[in-house]
This record gives sequence, structure tokens and C-alpha cells, in this order.
Amino acid sequence: MAKRITIDPISRIEGHLRVDVEVENGSVSNSWSSCTMWRGIENILKGRDPRDAWAFTQRFCGVCTTVHAMASVRSVEDALKLELPLNAQYIRNLILINHGLHDHIVHFYHLSALDFVDILKIPAADPAKTSSLIEGLTNWDGNSKKVFKEAQDKVKAVAASGQLGIFTNGYWGHPAMKLSPEVNLLAFAHYMQALEYQRKSVQAVAILGGKSPHIQNLTVGGVSNAINLDSMGTLNMDRLVMIKKLMDEVKPFIDQVYLPDVCAIAAMYADWFNYGAGVTNYLAAPDLPLDGKNTKFDLVGGYIMDGNLSSVHRFEGFRDKVFTEGVTEETKHAYYKGETPLHPWKGETDPEFTDWQADGKYSWVKAPRFQGRPMQVGPLAQVLVGYASGDPLTRKHTDKALDLISTVAGRRIGVEKLQSTMGRHVARAIRASMLAELGEKHWQLLVENIGKGDTATFAPFEFPSGEIEGVGVHEAPRGLLSHWSVIKGGKLENYQAVVPSTWNASPRDAKGQHGPYEASLLHNPIADPVRPLEAIRTIHSFDPCMACACHTFTPEGQAVAQVKVL
Amino acid sequence: MKTIKICGVGSVLLGDDGVGPYMARWIAANYEFGEGVEVEDLGTPGLDLLAYMTGIDVLILIDSVDNKLPAGTVTVYDKVEITRQRPAVRLDPHSPCITECIFIAELAGGGSEDVYLIGVTGESLDVGLQLSSSVKRAIPAAVEKVLELVARHGGSFHKRESATDTHIWWEAPVGLTQ
Repeated sequence: MAKRITIDPISRIEGHLRVDVEVENGSVSNSWSSCTMWRGIENILKGRDPRDAWAFTQRFCGVCTTVHAMASVRSVEDALKLELPLNAQYIRNLILINHGLHDHIVHFYHLSALDFVDILKIPAADPAKTSSLIEGLTNWDGNSKKVFKEAQDKVKAVAASGQLGIFTNGYWGHPAMKLSPEVNLLAFAHYMQALEYQRKSVQAVAILGGKSPHIQNLTVGGVSNAINLDSMGTLNMDRLVMIKKLMDEVKPFIDQVYLPDVCAIAAMYADWFNYGAGVTNYLAAPDLPLDGKNTKFDLVGGYIMDGNLSSVHRFEGFRDKVFTEGVTEETKHAYYKGETPLHPWKGETDPEFTDWQADGKYSWVKAPRFQGRPMQVGPLAQVLVGYASGDPLTRKHTDKALDLISTVAGRRIGVEKLQSTMGRHVARAIRASMLAELGEKHWQLLVENIGKGDTATFAPFEFPSGEIEGVGVHEAPRGLLSHWSVIKGGKLENYQAVVPSTWNASPRDAKGQHGPYEASLLHNPIADPVRPLEAIRTIHSFDPCMACACHTFTPEGQAVAQVKVL
Repeated sequence: MKTIKICGVGSVLLGDDGVGPYMARWIAANYEFGEGVEVEDLGTPGLDLLAYMTGIDVLILIDSVDNKLPAGTVTVYDKVEITRQRPAVRLDPHSPCITECIFIAELAGGGSEDVYLIGVTGESLDVGLQLSSSVKRAIPAAVEKVLELVARHGGSFHKRESATDTHIWWEAPVGLTQ
């Protein structure tokens, strides 16, 4: 007989997601992803000045503040059909790149690595052996025996104190934990180093954005940074050099620590390339625009259906009609009225709460669909779209990662294997490695453009008296984010944010099609229903963050997961 | 001389959860602090809070709490209590990170020696841009607690002769912004 397990909440830091799985013979046979709190923050924006919206939207969430600010100004600019100054694009791109690097580093090391790394095995490790494991593979100076010994001593002290602190809620000693004590130590030492490097990326965002979290420098039409290379208090050469120095420190961490760690752990857990594919329709936005009209991009966007890479279709720009006309949201299984799929510009948010009903309504998240299909978003979608459509940058970084994984695993792991739980981690590291390279490029582009004497950062505009519609698209760390605005006479008539976690955490739709989290859990192994580490691995691989999809106040939110076996 | 940072945290979109950002801006507008003391509205910082624990001796956080006490009650938690009373402190999108950040900072070293949480019990945490009247009434008492802690750790301050603009932009009613 199937056993129902409820996991609530599942995120390590932002937990409002509830997952229910039915387990039969040690494997998941059915699943539900739900969000436990009402979403309706967008209603605050109705009637407001569209120029103010970004300041509100970046307070949706504690993790993704920058991305909501960016999608919001882009939405209004799209409605106004503005052409932005190049400096504004490059400065925004540098913010997005550094924010993305910070987010990916933190997601891997601090929010999900401990699903695979067993902290309590570390005291048994031989630090010299850990150091020799990777000797000659990288020239990272944080891989000495001394560094590993110090990291091990920290864990020993925590274990001896009887107070596990940050490690209180791990699934230590779980049979699905497979790494040797030495590899666990390696990963933990890098967990500590990652704290320092993620902070450098945050500093770069703060220098450009004035503050982090909650950047201050955006404005509809550009950025508010004044550029004067010789003047204090503006974006001057000193500040540009500081940003470059921070990026120059972070890039080697990505290339020599993050990407190799993910590849090595992936190879050692290669069976996780066989689980968690779920919904294999992928959707990604183009991003990092290279011109003021948003027609050329460094990150490609598009879609793939049914896991078939040769079906790839690229989007031409932020407002590709195939995208804007393809999106709807459904509410058959969500706590809202109405059954008709609605376009976000026509979106309604009219709540109708019932209890959690396996066959009825069970989530506060709507079910977004593209061409009627559930879509997976996130770094994997972006990497697959780039790879399948022959983007040289994506190919270079993906092939590098796959070669490394294949070497450690001792067998060929091809790009098709990325459609899996482990593939989502690998794709995130590939994306980070692309971003680190693009950081150098966009810094250079900005400095060269300023060097030509261009100091423009703002395009002036006026709102027309009639109604205009805009979509602000951003390929955020968690995937495609879109803010849809309807503006009439300079005021917001409607505003809908379709966030990455809404796509991925989507409930079933009217046709009964599972959302990506739900589908990815099917056939996952579950060794111990009381400690469903395997389900958590798959969910964490998406980098769930439900705070922007909806808000709640969970008094037990500290737990990694509260598991109730029914 | 100790470095002291006063940080208001919370979501300004969720009613009384905005009390931290509100108070940070109110304090900055009404008080001038001596060297080493800073005030900031941090919004919803998540793990970014960690950056504010590094190189700061005393961190004073202001946040709304759900501790089953009457709305508007002001409670001061120290580091041990914040980490011990986890289930009692309200755990919304950002607050799990207060505890997590303290633990991580301890592990990494270099974190704040003292961390306090000035908790104001909220009345309504529904979507909204205003504080409830019970929370607004609690603000002077909560400010007193903040100033007491600043003084206890050797920080200096004086009340401004006339308050500067608080810039509590989210409170502006629809139609009056810009």
C-alpha cells in the first residue's frame, strides 16, 4: 500500500513549500507540490505610478530582490518601447552577473551541498589525503593540508560541543550519503571558503547598486549612477577598478572550486543523473542585452519540448511574440476562482480557499503554462537551449563540465544526462562559469564605452494617455522571471509577476499535467520514509524559493523538513 | 571603540512586518550617532545578513515577532535567546536567516560578539503598507530599548533638534508618490 509523506517546509532558508509524496516499494508513485499561503502582493501596485513599481517589487522576497527590481523596470520600459543607453545596459548586466554568481555559490554550498555531503563523517577524514586527492588538478591555494585540517577542527569542535548549530537538521548517516570522509571534508572546506567569495559578489552589486540587498540605482529608462571617471561620489575609475578586482577574485573560485566540486560530486553520485528529469519542456529568457533596443544578447533564450534538443526554438528578444502570446495561468487546482486559462495581462487573483485536496484544489500557486504545456525553468533550461541551438559560449562551458564529470566517473556522461536532479546542479555551475567569463566582458564593454566619451545613463520618456502593455523579462538565477504590466494614463492598471518558482512549483493543470517539482519526484527512490533525503535532493536541485510566489509565517520554519508520515 | 550596527529587517509589504525598516528610518531621522554606530533599513536580507555580522562588534536587529504576546509588546532577545528560542521568534521569509547567520558566523569566526533582536509583536502580517496602531504605539518603547543597548556598549547619540525626512516611501498613499 502506498504511504503518504508530507514534507513541509522544504527550503533551507525560505520555506513555504509543501510537498506530498506517495511511496510504494521504496519509490515515489505520486506527488503534489503546494504553496501554503495566499499570494496577492501585486494588488499593492494597482493605481501606482509605474516608475515606483520596482522599489516595491524588490521587496517581494529576501533572496531575489535585485531580479524583481530589474524585471519591473524592464516591464515599464517595454510598454514605453524605450531604447536604453548602453551604459545603463552594461551597468545592469554587471549587477545581474554578480547577483547571479552570489546566488549560485550560495545555492550550491550553503543550501544544497549538505544533501550530498555528510558533515558528521568529517572527523574521520585524513586532511593530508584530502589534499593529495586534488593535487595537480587545480592551482587553488585553498587546498592545502593546513586548510583542510583547520576546517576539520571546526567540525570536530562543533560535534564535541553537542550543539550542532547550523548543522542541526541534516540527514547525517543516511544510507544515501556516499562520499568518503576525505571528500566530505573537501566540500566542507569549500563551503567555508564560499562564504567569503559569495560576499565579494554581493560587494560588487552594492558598489554598483548603492546597497545590497535592495539596490537603489535603478530607474525606468536607465540607471541613476552618474558617470564621471574623475569625480568622487559617482561611478568613477576607482569604483570600476574595485568591481573588477572583486570579479577577478571570484572567477578563479568559480573555475577552480565551484565547477570542479559540482562535477566531482556529480560523478560520485552519478546515479542521480537517472532521477528527477520530470517535466522536460524547457523555457528560458534571453538576457544580458548588448544593445539599447534589446535585440542582441549574451545569454540565449528559447524553448525545448519533450526533452528533444533538436526541437529547440530561440527567442529573438525580450518581447518575442511566441513567448508573450504563449503564456497562460490556470487555477483548476489552485485556490482561486475561475477555470479559464488567462493571459497574465488579463490575470485575476480572486481567492477561493478549500482544504488541501489531493484531487481538488491544493496550492496557492497558479499553474503557468506555455502553449498549454508545463515548463521547467532555471539554469538547466538556459544551458540546454544554448547548447541545443549551438551557442559557442554555452557549448564551451558545458563540454568542459561534461569532460570533467566523465573523467571522474570513468564513463561518458553526455549532455542528455543533464535532464535530471544532478543535471540541474551541474547546469547551475555551468551558468556560473559562463557568468564569470561574461563579467569580464561586460566590464570591458562599459569601460570602453565610457572611454569613448559616452556618459549617458538615462533615456527620458513620457507616459501616453492611452493604455499600454509591457512585459519585463529576466533570466534570473532561478529561471525565467516575467513581470506583466498594464499602464493607463501613467498609472498601473494591472500587474502580474510570473516567477520562476511558480513555473517549477506549479500544481496540476486542468488536463491533470503535473508541474515540474511534482513530475521530477516520480520514481525517486526513498530509502527511509521518515527521512526522505532523496525527495529533498530533487526539490533542492531546482533552488526553490517560494517567498515571492507567496508569503507565509511558519513558526517551525527552522526545520529542514517536518515530515509527517500518514 | 566598538562598532555597532542597528538594522531594521522585515518586509515593508506585509503590514507589521515592516516595523524593522520603519524604525530604522525613524531612528536615523531623529537621532545622530557618534563614530562607529550606524543605522540601516536592511529590508529582507536573507543570508546577506551575514555580511553585516562581519567586522561589526554589536548587531542590533529590529524585527516583528510572533511570540504569542499581546500585539505591540517589545521583547529584547540576546544571541543565546535568539538561537535557543527559535520556534518562538517569527520565522517568515527572512527571519530563519537570523539564526542561520549567527550559527554560520560563529563557525566561520569574525562574526558579531553580541547580537540582539528587538522584537515587536505584530498584530497583522497580511499584505499591506501600514503598521497597525498597536505596533505604532510600541515604537517609542522599542526605540528606548535600542538606545539603551547602544549606550550599554559605549555608543554615543543625541536627539536631533529637528528630525530629518524619514523617507518611509512605502507608506505614501497611491497617487501621491514621486
